[in-house]
Amino acid sequence: MIEARGIKRTFHSHGAFTGAHVVQALRGVDFTLPPGGAVSFIGESGCGKTTLGRILAGLETFDEGELLVDGADVGSLGKRGRDEVFRSIQMVHQDPYSVLNPTRTIAATLGDPLKMVARRRGEKDKGAQQARARELLELVGLQPDGVLQKFPHQLSGGQRQRVVIARALTVDPKVLIADEAVSMIDVSMRLGILSLLRDLRKRLGISLVFITHDVATARYLGEGGELHVIYRGEVIERGPVETVIQSPVHPYTQCLLSAVPVLKGLEEPGPDRLLPKDMLDANLETPGCLFEPRCPFATEKCRAEHPVLGTETVAGVEVQHACFHPEVRNVAAVDLETV
Amino acid sequence: MRTWRVLTRKPGRVVGLAILVVFTLLAIFGPFLHSGQLAVDPDDVYAGPSARHLLGTDFAGSDVLQEIITGARYVLETAALSALFTAVIGTGVGLLAGYHRGPTDSALMRLTDFVLTIPGLPLLIVLSTIWSFGRPLEMALALGVTGWGGVARAVRSQTLSLRERGFLEAARGLGLSSRHVIVKELLPNLAPFVAMNMLLAVIAFIAAEVALFFLGVVPFSSSNWGVMLNQAVFSGGAMDSTSALSYLLSPLVCILLITVGIVLFLDAVDELFNPRLRERS
Amino acid sequence: MTDIAARADAPTAAAEVAVRDLTVCFPTDKGELAAVSHANLTLAAGRITGLVGESGSGKSTLALSLLGAVPTPGRVTGGEVSIAGVGDVTKLTKAKLRRLRGGHIGYVFQASQNSLNPLKTVGKQLLDLGRAHDVENLPDLVKRARELCELMGMDGARVLDSYQHQLSGGMRQRVGIVFALVLNAKVLVLDEPTTALDMLSQAAVLRIIARVHREIGLTTLIVTHDMGVVSELADRLAVMYGGRIVEDGPAEEVLGSPSHPYTKALINATARVTGEIGRARALPGRPPDLMSIPAEGCVFRERCAFAMEVCASVEPELARWRDERRRACHAEVETVTTEGVAAS
Repeated sequence: MIEARGIKRTFHSHGAFTGAHVVQALRGVDFTLPPGGAVSFIGESGCGKTTLGRILAGLETFDEGELLVDGADVGSLGKRGRDEVFRSIQMVHQDPYSVLNPTRTIAATLGDPLKMVARRRGEKDKGAQQARARELLELVGLQPDGVLQKFPHQLSGGQRQRVVIARALTVDPKVLIADEAVSMIDVSMRLGILSLLRDLRKRLGISLVFITHDVATARYLGEGGELHVIYRGEVIERGPVETVIQSPVHPYTQCLLSAVPVLKGLEEPGPDRLLPKDMLDANLETPGCLFEPRCPFATEKCRAEHPVLGTETVAGVEVQHACFHPEVRNVAAVDLETV
Repeated sequence: MRTWRVLTRKPGRVVGLAILVVFTLLAIFGPFLHSGQLAVDPDDVYAGPSARHLLGTDFAGSDVLQEIITGARYVLETAALSALFTAVIGTGVGLLAGYHRGPTDSALMRLTDFVLTIPGLPLLIVLSTIWSFGRPLEMALALGVTGWGGVARAVRSQTLSLRERGFLEAARGLGLSSRHVIVKELLPNLAPFVAMNMLLAVIAFIAAEVALFFLGVVPFSSSNWGVMLNQAVFSGGAMDSTSALSYLLSPLVCILLITVGIVLFLDAVDELFNPRLRERS
Repeated sequence: MTDIAARADAPTAAAEVAVRDLTVCFPTDKGELAAVSHANLTLAAGRITGLVGESGSGKSTLALSLLGAVPTPGRVTGGEVSIAGVGDVTKLTKAKLRRLRGGHIGYVFQASQNSLNPLKTVGKQLLDLGRAHDVENLPDLVKRARELCELMGMDGARVLDSYQHQLSGGMRQRVGIVFALVLNAKVLVLDEPTTALDMLSQAAVLRIIARVHREIGLTTLIVTHDMGVVSELADRLAVMYGGRIVEDGPAEEVLGSPSHPYTKALINATARVTGEIGRARALPGRPPDLMSIPAEGCVFRERCAFAMEVCASVEPELARWRDERRRACHAEVETVTTEGVAAS
């Protein structure tokens, strides 16, 4: 169970020709991940979602805010405490090939953490470790005999990703952070990985933090999923996945959903589809709403004041958003069969 | 089996391997073939090649071919040992520096820079005045301790770039120890690099030791290729006449052959170590 | 804008490209294997065609063969690629091929946003391109490039003076398109034009491609693994698997009522924002690569829900079954189109 409050992270860099450069990657993100839950973060590239994922996995520090994992405040723990906490939060990357050691077989890659876990528990039975490796491979939908003695480059992208998930499972994690976990996998195999993640939630009670730019994939993670929309380090809308997709109220969410390609012949475009006015300027800081320069519905108020995430009922639907002029617009594609 | 396939894929590699095998065998068994003192024949000094002396004779009338064969051991032994020392010291330093970074890295790199800036040969010559390192192990130590700078720098930069690869971060995230990461994850990925460096170092060290003997800086104890060159040039007048030509050329040609052998074989090393390259795409 | 618009009115503006029985082979340890096998595809003049296929399907090889640029050691072992106004690409001399590339066909490579030289400005690289093609009037070339930039919503002068790192991913992709078209190409081929771009940038680039296609009057081929990328733009859709074209036809019809089991399965396996979640199904197995393409019979049979005995021994031919629609399958059309999602 993860609780994040007001997470802020700022990057300072100093270019040789451009001088000091400050990027506010996260401007105060809150969210709660219940045990067995699934929270998805969507946004454009550079919106901070990857940084958030890395902070949650313990690979990155944060400047302000609190991160509580099962009630323990990560900031107050020493190195050992932190290492232990973050071991129960494992990351699944976009590129499965780069996170597998190319010179080691799958058996060795799984064997190392299993051996370490066994040693910690005082178990000596090597046979048990090998059996567990096979068990985990089957759990992720792979044939142990077909995979154990192979090297990563001999497997397909989908198989590699499954191995990565199996490896993450060797340390009995409670949370999996999937950062664009299916983006580099062939379309025909993506759903397999998504179903696997859904099954892990159901069978093992593992919670998921799913980071993606492809909204549609967030729908396949199982029941009770939440969708959080991030814009330039801020969550500007959130709610149950289907609610946000069918009844989005923030113009940015609506732009994102409008950008999803419509499969003509199967779907028809949402009637209210819209476009952002301008391109993203990552350097622009304003006292008002960060999306205002690109928002087709911006007003003076939006330029002057900064909207805060809050709950409101709009058009009969209870939503959480950060907008001064929320309005439900039907932008998502519509399945022709329901028309 | 796969090793054989990798080796035979290009004929050059087999040639390289064959040359190295021949010289290794010479190094191991050479001295047994001609045990004891070399036959001396004062009437037949600096003779050219003939049926009795295939490569001619030296300043004392001893058979050059015999000397080449018995000398092989010293040359190869010291070169191999030196390469081993530089590999071990250099890899150790480079790995630790690249993996830990920060103050460890700075300290180790200052040390490496120190070793790199000192000119090798002059240092060895100076060193020889206080320590006569004629024996193989001593020679190897002297060469190894002064020559690991380049390997350290190269291994460090390889380590730094491997660090960026996700699998190291993943291993730490799983809770695997630093020792595991360095030995089981990093080293196998560095292995081809280090192996190639070692082979190239052997070439450099052969040249270095032969140079030291040629310059007469190190006392010689027996037949030795560098000594042969020294004698050929300074006593046999090889630079002025053709009489000691085969005496001069024999060690040179051997050195050349070994270099060619290593270079040809090197081609196979990368593929041997890298499982990905072993499969034909 | 006048130059470009004027060209659109010219009767020979767009060109038809016909790929007939094309086979491209690569040497491997197991002998020469076909990455593309007896492919038949027509790019109708003035239309946008989408070529959809996963990794290993041979789509990029097919696209490169339009330029005669199949990477060695691969080679064309059969068939032809004829381009209206040029002839058979597979038979052209080296000199003619060079003129063809850029001059007649513009190719935008995969991840072209990474193919700009980081040490030179865009403008300098444009001039390099011009000189490589023996363009005499370089100022004219620059003018055309600026016009294309405006067409794509970019400030031409600024872009030409920029270095690669000063432009965003979406802008670099557009620069790639500018380079492909600046020498008055009539045919535009884009290989995965939106990989590594997020949704908003992708939508913007696709809109621009549609606009450029319309304004200049091109014949466009978009090669991708993502059906969504071509679903809105393409007039015609062709689906590739294991080096073969398994289905093609008007995009709307192929998506709405796919007639080949692979097309159908691929659509069902695509994550969508709408529609029943329960209907979606991943395909079992994995797409074949060059070495694992079955030598006999239908290449898709091992993952096919409708496989029959004949599929193991006889390779189905790509045949017309309705005007404008073709499929390569032994199963009856009705069986494939009416049956619901295959029982898992």
